[in-house]
This record gives sequence, structure tokens and C-alpha cells, in this order.
Amino acid sequence: MNPYFAVATLLLVTSMLFLLPLLPALLELRRKSDALPLGLIQHHAGEIRYFADSFRAYVKTLEPTLRECGASGRNASGVMPDGTNYLVLGNGSTALTLPLQLQDGTCPVLIASASDLSLPKDSSFSKDIYSLGRFVGGDNNHYRALLAEQEAYLGGGSSVMRWVHAGGELSADSGCKLAARVSSDSRIRLAPGCSFQRLNAPRIELGLQDGENASHSISSISELPPSKPQRIVHDGDFEIRCGAAFCGDLVVRGKLRIGSGARVYGSVKSQKDIVLESGVSVQGSLISAGKLVIGPACVIHGPVIAEHEMYIQTGTQCGGARTPTTVSALGIQVAEGVVVFGSLWAREHGEVVANA
Amino acid sequence: MWAHAMIYVLYLIVAIICVYTVRHYGFTLNRLFGFQRHPYIDIDTADWPPVTVLVAAHNEEKVIGNILAALMEANYPKDRMLVVPVNDRSTDGTRQIIDAFAERHPGRIRPFHRTEGKGGKAAALKDAMELVETEVILIFDADYIPGAGLVKQLTAPFFDPEVGGVMGRVVPVNVSTNLLTRLLDLERAGGYQVDQQARMNLRLVPQHGGTVAGVRRSALREIGGWNDNTLTEDTDLTYRLLLCGWKTIYQNRSECYEEVPETWQVRVKQIMRWAKGHNQAMMTYAWPLLAGKHRATLRERLDGALLLGVYIMGPITLLGWILALAVFYRGVAQFNGVLALLAITAYAAIGNLAAFFEIAAAVRLDGNRRRINLLPFLILGFTVSIFSVSRAAFSQVVDLVRGAELRWDKTERFRKAAS
Repeated sequence: MNPYFAVATLLLVTSMLFLLPLLPALLELRRKSDALPLGLIQHHAGEIRYFADSFRAYVKTLEPTLRECGASGRNASGVMPDGTNYLVLGNGSTALTLPLQLQDGTCPVLIASASDLSLPKDSSFSKDIYSLGRFVGGDNNHYRALLAEQEAYLGGGSSVMRWVHAGGELSADSGCKLAARVSSDSRIRLAPGCSFQRLNAPRIELGLQDGENASHSISSISELPPSKPQRIVHDGDFEIRCGAAFCGDLVVRGKLRIGSGARVYGSVKSQKDIVLESGVSVQGSLISAGKLVIGPACVIHGPVIAEHEMYIQTGTQCGGARTPTTVSALGIQVAEGVVVFGSLWAREHGEVVANA
Repeated sequence: MWAHAMIYVLYLIVAIICVYTVRHYGFTLNRLFGFQRHPYIDIDTADWPPVTVLVAAHNEEKVIGNILAALMEANYPKDRMLVVPVNDRSTDGTRQIIDAFAERHPGRIRPFHRTEGKGGKAAALKDAMELVETEVILIFDADYIPGAGLVKQLTAPFFDPEVGGVMGRVVPVNVSTNLLTRLLDLERAGGYQVDQQARMNLRLVPQHGGTVAGVRRSALREIGGWNDNTLTEDTDLTYRLLLCGWKTIYQNRSECYEEVPETWQVRVKQIMRWAKGHNQAMMTYAWPLLAGKHRATLRERLDGALLLGVYIMGPITLLGWILALAVFYRGVAQFNGVLALLAITAYAAIGNLAAFFEIAAAVRLDGNRRRINLLPFLILGFTVSIFSVSRAAFSQVVDLVRGAELRWDKTERFRKAAS
């Protein structure tokens, strides 16, 4: 063999072997098939009503039909620009008598009602529902998503898959499964036995009956703190005694217990579990890197965060009408009689439990 | 005797590299399979505190308009957010652009024009503190484009009284420009999506990046304010907060676009500045962190020390390569027989790939696909980095001997000026 040829072949083969693993890289560099910046939605602000607002914009094309049907009391059906079948009801109560479901019990059309909408029980709705007025759903219904411009009521044992929003009060009867974004512009009321993930409303009442208010036996914390706030960091477990007033921010590297009736004029953080006994009030935030147990009739003004589980007992109030807040944990168990102003967010599972 | 000394130094270097390898794998596995901590990201409703947003700008006419426009769209109570563009001795049109914005948004933008004084971001921020009256301070570099919800996201962690600093995620926007920007995109993904979030998960030491970031004013005051004698005020801040019992937390979902360098020259300059600043922090804080009496936990001390050492690993690796060659040509047997074979094979199969594994995992977590093909090219990026940080370390030693002052270099921008 010609030695030059041999050397050239050797060089060629070596180069090929070297370049072979780089071939996909070279192709990607040239083609730029995945070269866009990571997709950030610049206008996204985590707004819970995002889907409801988008759906409202989506059904805007039905506005003339809704007006017409509302005036005439008749129904109309058709196809949305994206191919979705819709049914517009002039009188929402007719939905109780219409044959909306297929044989498998599922209603496959988008329902939009020009007036108050009532839906029969034991039904599944695989498309979104819109009501220009109030909404009343029967027991054991399954919804994909629901928007009511006024009050909404979900019958016992119902479930919502994606989101539900009501312009007025939104109430869910016992056993509802709300693994979705649930929001209202005025108030949310969940009966005991309901499960939830993300709730947002100016006022969220858990397990309260009509006309009943959360009772708070403790005094308001809006009075001025006794001295200038400071930050105290404590290594190890810590306890604020019953009835004591603690002024300043407190960071505890161990477990924290706050005794009955104690008042904290500041924010509280613990690296481990926190237990609040009855009637405790916290002016700032309450944050636990572990588990958080909030006793009965406590008042917490700032955000309430637990990195693991959270248990909130009856009569507790989080946030205020003018100072809404967020209550968030991996799992949340709330006793009936708790009121939250703002957001209640169970990342994995939240449930309302009846008082023993 | 020299041969044996060389081999023991080599063993030490290999041991240190192995520690970093284990660290890389630990972080990556944690991100893939561990419990992910995002404790403050759910805070969407609150009685939001007043916030001051500092925008550091030095000759930023190409980009300053974008960030000011983006901040004016922020989903934060308008009466509780004040934007302070910190115009640090700009000689281009930065001042005019800022003033025009301030005029269009009365009461929402309060410009701070600095015409003289010490150079550098930290010095400028230090002077700008005279305009800051709020407890929460957010900081952005001028080339960033914050989304509408970012101000709330970066403010939320300050409801925790233990938090002194907050860091968000930096996402390159000019990815497709060339090979360098694509490699930097991969490196950033690994650094934030895996490294920083794993540190957050494991309660270690997430690093304050000095941009897409926040700091609590009382914490800043407690640690003595901005340190204008450092090239990386962010690293310096991270360690001073830690030593004083404040936590810096990382929020992976608080993402913000940035512009990465588009030329190797600018990149080398940038990484050399980072390396010098980081090494400076290492010299200052490594010993107090490891052995001092303060509130950092053992894991924070160890991770903090390893984090301080990342840039000195460049020259150490280079030294290791030289020693390995020297030992080989001196004919010194490092190991014998099967053990040597196993050690080399195991390291080649696992150790060398730790950083690649981390970046591949980050790309996967980001939901990207084909950009992972570029992974082999990272060797180029790593090689440039190793030589650049080694050069930085060497010149730092020379500067130290000569008594030369550290000089802060601004990273050049590539975006076209906003019209």
C-alpha cells in the first residue's frame, strides 16, 4: 500500500471518528431547530382568573346570539370558529329538561346561557359552561370548566376539572372535588367534605352556614406594639408563653410553640414545625419550613406558609377584608368555621373537615 | 522525592475534583428525583409592601428603555413601587432616555444620575441608597426584561423574616445568535435550573446574582451596606448575609430574560471579572465561613466553601493536567494494575461527565429537546473558561504583588437600541 495513502486514510478515519459524535451537534448548530429562548410569558402574572378571562373573551363571539336568545327565550346551536359545538339557551332552566347528554352520560357541547342556568344532576359536561346570570348545578355533576357572571352553586359530590369562576358568590355543597382554580369576585363558601387546590376570593368561608360568621374571641391586634420591633434569631426550640406579647420578627431554627392568647407584633418563621394554640394573633406572616398547626380562633394578618402540611382549626381568620393574604402549603386541612381573605392554595390536596 | 511530592499533590487535586463531581451528581439527582422547594411562589395575594427597584445602568442606551418600559407594566400596586434607574456616569444617551421615561411616568420613576465617584456597580448602588426608603429593594441590570409578575414574585419571599436576599432565574434571550450564545444558554440552564434550585432544595447556599434579585434593606444595613471594594458585589453579599444569619433564597420560577455575550472576547472578559471577584470573596470569607462562630449550619458551611472554590478550580485543574503529564513522563506508578484501570475507567465514565449530565438534566427539565445535541461543544466552552479563570487567578496574584487596584469592566451589550 502506498504509504501516503495509508497516512491519508488513517487521518481521514481518525477525523471521522472524532467528528462522528459531533455530527448531531453540527447539524443542530446549522439548522437551529431548537434555538429559541426558553418560553417565558412576559405578561403572565399568575392570575387565577386568567382562564376565566380568556373564556369570557372566547364566548364574546356568542354575544349577539345570547342577546337574541335572551330576548326571545329560544335556544340556538352552532359551531364556534375553532369547531366546538355550542348550545345557547334563552332560558337557562330549560337545560333541566333538554336531552343534553349522550348515551355515556356526557354532554359534549359548550353551553352558554343568556339567563340563570340550572343543570340536572348526575351529568358530565366535557366542554366549558357559561352563564350570563346565576348558575345552579345538580348533585354529582362533573364539569370541565365553568364561568358564571353572577352566583354559582355546585351541588354535593360535584367535581370541576380545570377552573370555575363566579362573579358573585360561589358555593359548593358537601363532597365537591375542586381540583382546579376556583375563584369568585365576592365570596367562596365550601361545605365540609369538599376538597380543593387553589381558591381565591375577597372572602373564603369554609364550612360556614348562611348568616353565620366566624367568631373571634381574641382581641384585635391592630393596637400599637409596645416597643420598637426587632429581629430575634433563636437556635433550637422556642416557646412564646400563653398570653404573652412578642414584639418583633422571630426566626426559630427549631420547633416553635405559641401559647394560647399570645400576640406577636411581627412575623414568625420556624425551620421546623410550628404549633399555635387557641386565640393566638400574629400581625405579620407565619412561615414554617415543616408542619403548621393553627389552633382555634387565631388571627394571622400576613401570609401563612407551610412547606409541608397545614392544619387550621375552627374560628381562625387569615388576612383581613382590607389586607388580603395567601395561605399555602403542600397539603391543607381546614376545619369548618375558618375564614381566609385572599388565596387558599393547597399544592397537592386541601380539604374542609367537619368539626368533631 | 519531587516525583512523590508531585504525585501526592496530584492525588489531592483528584480528590478535590472528585468532591466537585459528587456535588454535581448530587445536585442533578436532587433536581430529578428530590423534593422541590418553592415555598414563596404561591404568594399571589398579599398586602404588598413598598418596593424600590434599582436598575443599574452604565452606558446602556441600547437597553435601558426596554427595562423601564417592562417595569412600568409590572403587576404591582403602582403606588407602592418606585423605580430608581441608577445612571452611573454614562456618557451616551442613557440619561436622556431615563429622564424621558421619568417625565412620562411622574412619581413612578426617580432617576439617580451619578456623574462622578468610584467606578463599578456596587459603588453606584451604594450611592443610590440615599433614594431608597423601602425595606424591600429589587435589583436589575439594565439589559434585563422583567415580566409582569416578576416584581411580586421577587418581593414575596421577604414576608419571611429569615430571608435577607432573593435571587431569580436568568434566561438568555439571544440564544440563536451563534455558537457562544447557544453554549451560554446551556451553561445558564445548568447553573440555575439544576445548581441553584438544588441548593435551594437542600437548604444550602443559593447564590445572590446581583440582578433579577432582591435584598432586604435592614439586612443590608446590618452587614454594612454594599461593598464597593469587590468586583462581584453579589457573591460578597451572599456570604455577608450568610455570616450574619440571613438566608438568600432562590426562586426558579421567577424567570427573567437577559442578554448573554455574543463574542468570545466579551465572554472572556466577563468570566475573568467573575473569577477575580469570586476569588476575592474566597480569600475573604472561606475561613470565617468554615471556622467562624456564626449561625450557618454545617451543610451551609461546606456548600458555601465549595461554592467559593468554583473559580479556583480552573487553575487547580490545569495544574492537575500538568502534574499528570509530568508524573507520567517521570515514569512514576500512580496505581498498579487493575486498580489503575478501574480508577481511570470509572472517572472517565462518570467523573468527567458530571457537568454534562447536569446540563443535560437542566435542558430536559426545561422541556427542550434538540439543543441537547450541542452538549459535546461544551468542551470548547469549558476549555475557554478554564484558561480564562486561570489567567484571571494568575493576574490577580500579580496585581496583589504589585498592589494594583481591581478594575470593574462593564459587559458590552449587543442589542440594537430601542427606537
